[in-house]
Amino acid sequence: MTTPTPRTPVPVHSPREAPSPVHSPREAPPSPASSTPGGVGSSPRRPDGTLKVTGEFAYSSDMWMDDMLWGATLRSPHPHARIRGIDVTGAVRMPGVHAVLTHEDVPGEKRYGLEYRDQPVLAFGKVRYRGEPVAIVAADHPETARRALDRVRVDYEVLEPVSDPVRAAFDPDCPLVHEAGEDLPPAHPAHHRSGNRVRYQPVRTGAFADGATAAEVRALADVVVTGEYQVGMQDQAFLGPESGLAVPAEDGGVDLHIATQWLHVDQSQIAPCLGLPPEKVRLTLAGVGGAFGAREDMSMQVHACMLALRTGRPVKIVYNREESFHGHVHRHPARLRYEHGATRDGRLVYATAEIVLDGGAYASTTAAVVGVASSLGLGPYEIPHARVDAYGVYTTNPPCGAMRGFGAVQACFCYESQLDRLAAELGLHPVELRIRNAMSEGSRTATGQRVDMPLPMADMLRRAREMPMPPERAAAGPVDVRALPGGVANTSRGEGVRRGVGYGVGLKNLCFSEGFDDYSTARVRLEVVGGEPAVQVHTAAAEVGQGLVTIKGQIARTELGVERVTVLPSDTRVGSAGSSSASRQSYMTGGAVRAACLAVRARVFELVRAAGLVGDDHPDELLGLAGGKVVSGARGVLVSLADLLGASAVEETREFRHRATEMLDPTTGQGASHTQFGMCVHRAVVDVDVDLGLVKVVALDAVQDVGRVLHPQQLAGQIQGGSAQGLGLALMEEIQVSGSVIRNPSFTDYLIPTILDVPPMRIEVLEHPDPHAPYGLRGAGEPPTLSSTPAIVAAVRAATGRPLSRIPVRPEDIVGIERD
Amino acid sequence: MRSFAYLSAPDIDTALHAVSAEPNAKFLGGGTNLVDLMREEIEQPDTVIDITRLPLAEVAELPGGGVRVGALVRNSHLAAHPLIRERYPVLSQAILHGASGQLRNMATVGGNLLQRTRCVYFYDTASPCNKREPGAGCAAAEGFHRNTAVLGTSEHCLAAHPSDMCVALAALDAAVEVRSVRGVRRIPVTDFHRLPGATPHVESDLAPDELVTAVEIPPLRAAANSRYRKVRDRASYAFALVSVAAALEVEDGRVRTARLALGGVGTRPWRAREAERVLADAPATEEAFDRAAEAELAAAVGRPDNAFKIDLARRTVTAVLRRLLTTDGSTP
Repeated sequence: MTTPTPRTPVPVHSPREAPSPVHSPREAPPSPASSTPGGVGSSPRRPDGTLKVTGEFAYSSDMWMDDMLWGATLRSPHPHARIRGIDVTGAVRMPGVHAVLTHEDVPGEKRYGLEYRDQPVLAFGKVRYRGEPVAIVAADHPETARRALDRVRVDYEVLEPVSDPVRAAFDPDCPLVHEAGEDLPPAHPAHHRSGNRVRYQPVRTGAFADGATAAEVRALADVVVTGEYQVGMQDQAFLGPESGLAVPAEDGGVDLHIATQWLHVDQSQIAPCLGLPPEKVRLTLAGVGGAFGAREDMSMQVHACMLALRTGRPVKIVYNREESFHGHVHRHPARLRYEHGATRDGRLVYATAEIVLDGGAYASTTAAVVGVASSLGLGPYEIPHARVDAYGVYTTNPPCGAMRGFGAVQACFCYESQLDRLAAELGLHPVELRIRNAMSEGSRTATGQRVDMPLPMADMLRRAREMPMPPERAAAGPVDVRALPGGVANTSRGEGVRRGVGYGVGLKNLCFSEGFDDYSTARVRLEVVGGEPAVQVHTAAAEVGQGLVTIKGQIARTELGVERVTVLPSDTRVGSAGSSSASRQSYMTGGAVRAACLAVRARVFELVRAAGLVGDDHPDELLGLAGGKVVSGARGVLVSLADLLGASAVEETREFRHRATEMLDPTTGQGASHTQFGMCVHRAVVDVDVDLGLVKVVALDAVQDVGRVLHPQQLAGQIQGGSAQGLGLALMEEIQVSGSVIRNPSFTDYLIPTILDVPPMRIEVLEHPDPHAPYGLRGAGEPPTLSSTPAIVAAVRAATGRPLSRIPVRPEDIVGIERD
Repeated sequence: MRSFAYLSAPDIDTALHAVSAEPNAKFLGGGTNLVDLMREEIEQPDTVIDITRLPLAEVAELPGGGVRVGALVRNSHLAAHPLIRERYPVLSQAILHGASGQLRNMATVGGNLLQRTRCVYFYDTASPCNKREPGAGCAAAEGFHRNTAVLGTSEHCLAAHPSDMCVALAALDAAVEVRSVRGVRRIPVTDFHRLPGATPHVESDLAPDELVTAVEIPPLRAAANSRYRKVRDRASYAFALVSVAAALEVEDGRVRTARLALGGVGTRPWRAREAERVLADAPATEEAFDRAAEAELAAAVGRPDNAFKIDLARRTVTAVLRRLLTTDGSTP
């Protein structure tokens, strides 16, 4: 096992052309690109791109085996109820039904969980959310399976739901979602778990660390602004519903084909539940139709395996759309209270935040989300005295967990709203106030962590401010209603429409945090096929649409100078690649592929020396691989790989780790908990019909530092997609939960932005390399999701003068404004 | 989806006899609503009678200047039809503001008339809903009701009628032609949909054995200056928070004809007769428009999540009338 430190990239230059939406500024540091076509820095076509665009790509829901059965899941109609009994006899007797299973049939551990094993495979004792799986059926037809579910009788004693997260956090008389005496694993002692609290994390710096009260610290400031905010529950809204196919194996094990974000963490949860050793639970990644965090937790993985093992037949389960809304975690809705104090000249003196995150019925990643919300809860600002209290709680609401932005999104909306309020109080331009308090390389975060990588925040803000503005609306002449609020619904032709501009900036941790021993594994094989050198790259990393499959090939081409690269399907025959989340796969699996390639290279150079083509003392540094040949800096081409390797292959497997991180101190919240920081700045321009409360986002422009661009086109896609998801949270996306029940589990009623809602985006990409990261890269997928939302809301505030402290902002929040 | 018998009717008589013989049969047109509801098991017909082969897909001019629209005319076809675009721009616009292109290509006029509500409790079989299950109760009043109605509600039901097309038809005084083995009759669109009262499951005047065969739209000079406006949560593919279908004819500064109907706020496509009364022969001024909107919404009953619609509807009515006053209606 090696932990390679990033080396200086191969000093080979070739002009890189960014696609039109990406403008790499000239002053970005020169970054080496591959001399091999399709290498790092170019935009080769994705291997799965054409298939997806033409509809031929096989998603997990398309899987088929001739003798397979169909699984279906009986779900709780109540958010909170005691199970007094389950009678499956009516279902078992139905023709065509092959198995009806309940918690009594779980062969091994009865609970699983990503971080904390508190979630029943099938409910026993209590159900804690509406839609919780209670029984599963396998039948010869999906309709038969569903009919059988109707015949399972569950005797519930309905309990009062625990719907209010603030009460769950603070009221000692609030009923417990997980009652005392339940046989749960011990919680991490630093998480302060108690009552319905999954984790409480304080952060204290400056006078707050010395025990100062808010009143004492407030006296240090000339200007104080306070705000109470709410963030609604956002859904990841992937298009491919949860689906998997489990195939029983002759060795008593099971092969599961599944759309997931992390094969090995699924395996490590499934195997104990099945009572099988991990090697008998083999996973292969099936076609993933989007993830955004929603596939980090398991859905039907154990269910499909149980049914397959029980029936001896392959079993396929596909959720429908409504079921999908119950079948995955969502973004934590939040209630937040903030206070900021500054001097008259616009220097932040102190800030406090109280953040309550509703984790729903099961822990999922709530503890880690609290770790992010607390450590980044005040954003990228230098603040001498900081106090944050972040709580993640159990309720009987839908379970919440990972979603793009992971705990940093909720806080970003609030601290950016606060900065705007403060700027207004001080009479400063919002960008100017941000620049005066901006973090930079060498700054310390609220947790005392030194930012030891470039963080050109002030420069990014200036660039965002200086980007060309979209043209003003013409006062007269022809009107394109598509460009107006209400769009083609023709609600306005410009009358009553006001323009507003807003800014947002967010700080996001990239890769896993808080001491997690994170790694990725890659196996790289170089051999000669048909007289040409060819490379195979094998990892377990989940391609979820982000384009890692392309990146892996680019890295192999770059490092091995070989054009022909095949990326093998991801499965558990190779070591863990970790999760496709936290913007970490280019860093981690990219790093692992690179490390494995370097090991293969070293082996090739040994062969070169062994063949006597150079002397034994000829250092690797003077050798290179290019165009399928081994070259020497001094002597040119030494030998072709085809000749050198002949029939032999060189194969190396490497694990790659990022540098170690620390747990946050449980009382002060201090600690270098994060691996890397990412930042995006947005400027939003909106037109608002102040009469009808309709918003048209006219421009949503971004500046992001990504350290190093690996694939310009995919990067543009990530920034556009993250910005659009932030737009959705700002203006329309919310899972409506009342009485702990999801009221809009469909894409008819849960609205996500369409092409008519998303404006063209101007994107400026900076490349200040992170010296700790492979190629200097920074994860890019999450930061735009943070800053897009507050920028848009700030722009709507600027247009309307409304306070808008709750997202998503709806027409009713905007109407009621005085007419002028 | 429950299993069901499927019959493809070759002609109208066969369809009518089949439906009169089957107590729990449904006609299948475009299927864009029925099939969804069958999947959710909210509709559970024993027999589905496919009527798509019936000769009801014509748009024809009526003597006197009206237009007759066959029940099987697809929404997209109707919206694009020159007679409709020319004589009833409000109808064309209303249709184009509903659903998506794909749905409009399938959905029929008859099906649109019988479209069912989007009240979330109607779709949640674990919640009580008087519309779905008579006598079960209404969960919306105490629950999430942002998309429910503020006009025409009862203690038994708040569900809003979701159609855009019907709002325009209500403003235009269209009539629905229905047929059964018992004969043919015509029902004004404004009487076709029923208020929920104590029987919210009875949504229309249509008897179980009747088939919608056509919609007839009478000539209306004011319709040349008509338009449809829809306020929604996103720029496309969303049901109305509030919509307004309006036609206005002004002569010498006074309102000669005003036709108004509201969507998104009513338990049925809401013909705004109170507003029309106020506007009749009134000066065509913003002040009169405000009074008209005020009068229509005086009876509205708001609840915590949907009270904003009352104000939003007032504003939308006024804005549409103001626009109709300043345009000749020739530009959409």
